[in-house]
Amino acid sequence: MKKILIIDDDTTFQKTMSDSLASLHYTVASALDGEEGLAKALAEKPDLILLDIKMPKMDGITFLKKLQSGGEDSTKIPVLVTSNISTMDNISEGIALGIKGYIVKSDESLDTIVQHVEELLNPKKGVSGLPSRLIS
Amino acid sequence: MTLTVTSIVLAIGGLSASIYFVIKDYKAKEVLAKREQDVSRRMYELAILKELGDRIGYSLDVQQIIDIIINSLHQFIDYSAVSYMLLGPEKLIFKMHLERSVHQRFVNDIRDRMLGSLSALLDREFNKKDVKEILSGAIIIEELDEPVRSFFNIPLVIDEKVVGVLTVADTKTGLYKEEEMTILYKIIQQASKAVTSLQGVVKSEQAKVNAMVESMADGVVMTDIDYRIMVVNPSARAIIGLPKKESLTIFDFIDNLEGKFDIRGKLEESVKLNKPFKSEEVLIKDKFYRIFVFPVNAAVGGEVEEKNAVGGVVIFHDVTAERAVEQIREQFTSMIVHELRTPLSGINKISELLRSGEPPLTKPEVDNYIKMISVNSTSMLDLVNDILDVAKLEAGKFDVKKEPGDIKKIVDNRLEFFKVSATDAKLTLKVVYDPALPELVPLDESAVKQVLNNLISNALKFTKAGGTVDIFVAKHSTNAKITEEFGKLSGKTSVALPDEKFLSAPESIVVAVSDSGAGINPTSIKELFNKFKQLDNKAEAGVKGTGLGLAIAKGIVEEHGGFIGAVSEIGVGSVFYFVIPLQ
Repeated sequence: MKKILIIDDDTTFQKTMSDSLASLHYTVASALDGEEGLAKALAEKPDLILLDIKMPKMDGITFLKKLQSGGEDSTKIPVLVTSNISTMDNISEGIALGIKGYIVKSDESLDTIVQHVEELLNPKKGVSGLPSRLIS
Repeated sequence: MTLTVTSIVLAIGGLSASIYFVIKDYKAKEVLAKREQDVSRRMYELAILKELGDRIGYSLDVQQIIDIIINSLHQFIDYSAVSYMLLGPEKLIFKMHLERSVHQRFVNDIRDRMLGSLSALLDREFNKKDVKEILSGAIIIEELDEPVRSFFNIPLVIDEKVVGVLTVADTKTGLYKEEEMTILYKIIQQASKAVTSLQGVVKSEQAKVNAMVESMADGVVMTDIDYRIMVVNPSARAIIGLPKKESLTIFDFIDNLEGKFDIRGKLEESVKLNKPFKSEEVLIKDKFYRIFVFPVNAAVGGEVEEKNAVGGVVIFHDVTAERAVEQIREQFTSMIVHELRTPLSGINKISELLRSGEPPLTKPEVDNYIKMISVNSTSMLDLVNDILDVAKLEAGKFDVKKEPGDIKKIVDNRLEFFKVSATDAKLTLKVVYDPALPELVPLDESAVKQVLNNLISNALKFTKAGGTVDIFVAKHSTNAKITEEFGKLSGKTSVALPDEKFLSAPESIVVAVSDSGAGINPTSIKELFNKFKQLDNKAEAGVKGTGLGLAIAKGIVEEHGGFIGAVSEIGVGSVFYFVIPLQ
């Protein structure tokens, strides 16, 4: 069973997302800020991280930088940024830090986000028809 | 001329003050643009004025006045020729008006005599080569070989300086007696006086303009047509970091601007096209400037219609403050957008989940989701209300209706309201009343409740379990020390209130909310009541809020004619207080 770590201080997003993903038989772990997220990412080695940008204690960009310097194993974890901040600066900085995709939470339905997650975790399935914001 | 100078001096004086206020007001972006245009135009006028002022040297003005004198002199004195010789900018101007025809030798003789006396008067050697000769009146006739038999020479003195000589001469002998001489002296003296005082006015106006340019916050640089530096004010020196030498060249500017702004190229372009130029924001050292370049034209020979480029002026206008305001505004907007989007998107996703029935939910799970919808929508509603309150306060439409109210009752009511959350957070919440409190205080009950809500909920949020939050309500008398007044109460605020803030306060009610929280550092305190600022520690504490509450509280208290403030000490606590006048 694949494990997904959601790092987001928005508890509603945490709850709706993990309920949806759990029903699709994923194991879901959650963290409410970057610091907690980093600790869980390094300890639990998830198959995918959903990462918010604006968070207390450690923001998403700092998280990405720390994750990169966390050894080979941790840099291999794919990260999908899910944030309500859609400024180009953040997106390009994220891309530079090797993220797999960027989703503006409030622009997409829960279903679409779940589909993106599935596509990232099972690339061979070839989920079609997604307005791909994913970076290949 | 004098009038124009004065009005521009006054106009620009007022301008610097208005720029300050415009920058303060974040909403005034458009006004700012218009002011910028105004500055441009006024600077342009100023530059022309300066150039004109400089050009009103002796030669032009004095020459015009002497011309007028010699045109009317014939009524008083008889002569063959009247002439003057003036120090021009480059040459000596020798002008002779002939009443009667004379021989060329007569003209040359007068010229040489005048050269001689001017040389003697100024202790300088002049010769024929230095002279620009203008003849008018009757013609030269070679047959009339009459020498100069009568001759009278008067020095022209303006502002105690010899600027030239005036001569009347005749071919007849023994003409100029004392009487004529006296008349001529008197006329010349009057004229000198008039010119001297006129120049005094021009000079003092010019000095005003120069002093103004000197003291301007904007950097001002003026060059002539060959890029020779005519004026550099201290601001320009500081901005560009120019060497402290007397004579600067355009190359000093080019070197020190390090390619950030093509000063020479823009001057050339502006003068050539006779068009002002405005730069983008340029970063020089650690500040941002908008740079304006204007051509300077001067009227030639009094002909206003005929424009002639004489140089250019460059103005460095510091826009760092405007930029900072703009940035804060952008951050604020994106914060608001984020804070509104997050709960709304949360509600949206919950409804999606509930509607799809996937995954299937149990009754307690559904109840939990409904609770989340309620929390999210409440947080949105609070934010929207805050934004509306700020907007109302800014538009001056926040109605504060002062009516006699019982402050004790209001505070007790709030204490009751917050008791539950204080207990939940394991905090002690209590109130201390001054026995000398008046029964009724003029206030808007619901507005004051809003202020109390904000201060108390903040104190509860930022104080760790086991801590205390105390509310003090006391009467402040004119000229009394607030520390002494609070000293009489049964309890102490975590940090003492600042006496200096209350020195000029009228008789009033002081409400202080004191906590034993972490404290706020002094630099942040200043920004607490700014609607665009949110303290970083808010996020760290994991407490939601937009930071608008204190800005609103400030607005409400000020509408009451009072003031709001905070004192804090790291590790000790914070005290937020507000003052409502009794009158």
